Amino acid sequence: MAAKYDIVVVGAGNAGISAAVSCAVRGKKVLLIDQHNLPGGCASSFVRGRFEFDPSVHEIADFGPEDNKGSVRKMLERNGVNVDWITIPDCYRCIATYSDGTPMDVTMPCGKDAYIDAMEKYVPGSRKPMEEFFELTDEINAALAYMMDGTPNDSKYMQKHFPNVLRTCGYNALKVLKAMKMPTKAIEILSVYWPYLGMPLDQINFLHFAVMIYLYVVRQAVIPHHTSHEISMAFMNRFYELGGEAWFNCRAEEFLFDGDRICGVRTSLGDVECEQVLANINPDIIYAKMMPKELVPEREKKLSAARNKNYSTKFCLVYMALNKPIEEIGIKDYCIFFQGSADSRREYENMKSIDNDYNILISYNTMIPDFSPEGTSVISFTKLFSKSQDWEKLTPEEYYKVKDKMIAKCIDDVQKRLGIDLTPYIEEVEVATPMTFARYLGTPDGTPYGYELSDWDGMMARMMEMDKDFPIKGLRHIGAASFRGDGYSSTWLNGDMCAALACRDLEEGGNK
Amino acid sequence: MALKIKVSKIGLLDMLKFANLAKDREKVIEAAPAKEITADFPINNFAKAQHPDYQKFVIDEIIDHAAAGAKTFVLKRADGKPASFFRAGQYISLKLHIGDSYVSRPYSISSSPKWALEGKVAVTVKTNPSGFAADWMLSNFKVGDEVIGSEGLGSFYYEQYRDAKHVVALAGGSGITPFLSMAYAIRDGIEDFDLTILFGSRNEESILFRDEFDKIMAATDKVRVVHVLSDEEKEGYEHGFITADLIKKYAGKDPYSVLICGPEAMYRFVAKEVDKLGLEKKFVRQELLGATKKVWEQPGYPQAAKDKVFKLTVKQGPNETVCDCSANEPILVAVERAGIKAPSKCRSGECGWCRSRVISGDVFIPEETDGRRWADKQCGEIHPCASFATSDLTIVVPGEYY
Repeated sequence: MAAKYDIVVVGAGNAGISAAVSCAVRGKKVLLIDQHNLPGGCASSFVRGRFEFDPSVHEIADFGPEDNKGSVRKMLERNGVNVDWITIPDCYRCIATYSDGTPMDVTMPCGKDAYIDAMEKYVPGSRKPMEEFFELTDEINAALAYMMDGTPNDSKYMQKHFPNVLRTCGYNALKVLKAMKMPTKAIEILSVYWPYLGMPLDQINFLHFAVMIYLYVVRQAVIPHHTSHEISMAFMNRFYELGGEAWFNCRAEEFLFDGDRICGVRTSLGDVECEQVLANINPDIIYAKMMPKELVPEREKKLSAARNKNYSTKFCLVYMALNKPIEEIGIKDYCIFFQGSADSRREYENMKSIDNDYNILISYNTMIPDFSPEGTSVISFTKLFSKSQDWEKLTPEEYYKVKDKMIAKCIDDVQKRLGIDLTPYIEEVEVATPMTFARYLGTPDGTPYGYELSDWDGMMARMMEMDKDFPIKGLRHIGAASFRGDGYSSTWLNGDMCAALACRDLEEGGNK
Repeated sequence: MALKIKVSKIGLLDMLKFANLAKDREKVIEAAPAKEITADFPINNFAKAQHPDYQKFVIDEIIDHAAAGAKTFVLKRADGKPASFFRAGQYISLKLHIGDSYVSRPYSISSSPKWALEGKVAVTVKTNPSGFAADWMLSNFKVGDEVIGSEGLGSFYYEQYRDAKHVVALAGGSGITPFLSMAYAIRDGIEDFDLTILFGSRNEESILFRDEFDKIMAATDKVRVVHVLSDEEKEGYEHGFITADLIKKYAGKDPYSVLICGPEAMYRFVAKEVDKLGLEKKFVRQELLGATKKVWEQPGYPQAAKDKVFKLTVKQGPNETVCDCSANEPILVAVERAGIKAPSKCRSGECGWCRSRVISGDVFIPEETDGRRWADKQCGEIHPCASFATSDLTIVVPGEYY
């Protein structure tokens, strides 16, 4: 007889582990499965020689200090997930060229006032629009809190209390910032984080963009002391403590139905019965490969066609362990963005090429001296590719050569931008390509980001249509391709929220 | 909440836009055709071809190296497709069904990566009378047999941005195989570095791949093999063991990397010699050693556990198996003996593919093969291939796909 659970969570990535814990906290009998032998998806680690590397984390948003707790911190505390966090004092350093051709090298601190002061220093005259920008983010936060408190939204109330939110949130970030008379250089400094949403300023919804800036600047970012695997294991420990069961190296092969309602999952370790499924799998894969074609809803076919395989950013990361302390090597900043142009649209277009100049350098030991053995340091480089078809043209022989080319490019970037030669110090080097992500995550073309959060399909629009997307009874879609979009914080919160909805349905016999 | 936020008037941007976000989205969706959804992604297909769940091979050819007590098995993909491409020096994990046991064995690939494009890989197996799988393969494998294997694995390969351009390889016996693959790769233009191999054999007669290396050296001057005979003194050969002086003699003046592969006894000797050279850590790399042999000789081992047999409960998905587990062998061996298909690849504690969770009981993990992640060490996750039971034990093992 098949094993029976209240809820099966398929895919133990960030959304999956968060959802699993959230369901277990509510007393549900939960099975979590993943096709890989580790939890976390991107939030993991790997060991080479005497070093442990983090595959993906840069800065985790929305955690917040004790007196201004963010949603992520509240969720982790509510669910009893404890991690040894390190707070990052600076937002970023960015070395690029402004769109007017002048060179940019800015270091932006965390904290609203410090950020505004720094901006004024780099772009005199930016203080007023910057102050207004942060005032607006306060209004946005209040509006979002009002909209997401689970009670119906009153449009009159919203017009009265959140007029600026209503005026701006239908537009892209570039348009609103220009309307606010933000100097171009300030827009370009403000936009450095854009790749974390995957879309340039003229295509990302203003509200989504502004919230992200608020979360990083005002609430500060955190990173785990011992790689993202520490976070994923904190979720797993809590899950086990609550009686949760996890099967790793276990593939969900298809979803089982009773009429039009999901009733179980066929896995590589046997069938399981359940009332609800939370699927951390791209919807296109679910509909194309994991369920009977005749049960795929018409609107979902249209939604998929409208999205037209508009999968978001692909990544290539280069990880290096250096046999010298980071301060002796001469890197001081935790996070440095190397861009060609400071204009996000231009960079987004450049990212179509495998040879683009975009690169983000993370130097873990600047924040965590014991991140690696004494006398050594670990750094990583993140290169992004939007809509790039270059990767898929590679043959297996070329593939390894391209990996070496990526390493060479990273060495070259540090040489050119910081005047530092890393070559004598490289003790370990590893490269993760879109293929690597595809291998471990199984997402379309290896994107960890889901669909592009573009124009009509942005986070706000998706959230407003939450009840319309994914209408199959008993099946909810979680993860980066769900309504909240990509990123550690977004996917944890998404998993937590979908779990709450699934548990509600289970208890109240809701309509899903 | 009395908000009095004043932001300058925002031009012509209007309030209706917000309410229309959902409507506009719905319009775009409505206008799209209700097409059948597909999910076929080139990058995922590439990843799957390079990292399949397993590769099914048939034995295409068996080459007997009688004097060395070894055979080379040439494996060909059963489906006629190219084998997963690999980096010269990597190993393949063979999945064997011996009696009631499902076991894996890592073997360095001895063929050129180029062969993989034609669907072929070769491994060389040397006799090991005290072992479980090697002699079974040597006496049972015949041409046409099916063999399941992994893709190329491990990080024992040349990496130009880490290693020196000149690699001095120290090989003993069948430890020559990864270097044969590297030599082929250099000959075939797949790798580009200078390779000097100090190859220890007992005597002239037992030298493995003598002809192959002679042919490679005739084709490229980037590969050089120095034979070191331990049991025979002969003109044209070095005599004795691989010492620091011998390495210096052939390494030359430029920076060099040392790569070591050989049986444990050879490795323990050579490692001491290499220490004398004072090389930076990044310039010294060794192939995996396998599991600790005499675990009770490890520092910190609880001696009371030695020679005991414990009860091991293994959970895998919905299944539970109870079996005996000798304190003297890695836990993985007990799992395999119980007829459970559990994942494993390197069998040296490094790759983490066998990563399992301890629910109850105690284990001993020798530090020299503890390749676990930091958080796993705190959380009771173990690599059963390099962990030993010191009490009755209940563990959860992952699934396996072959």
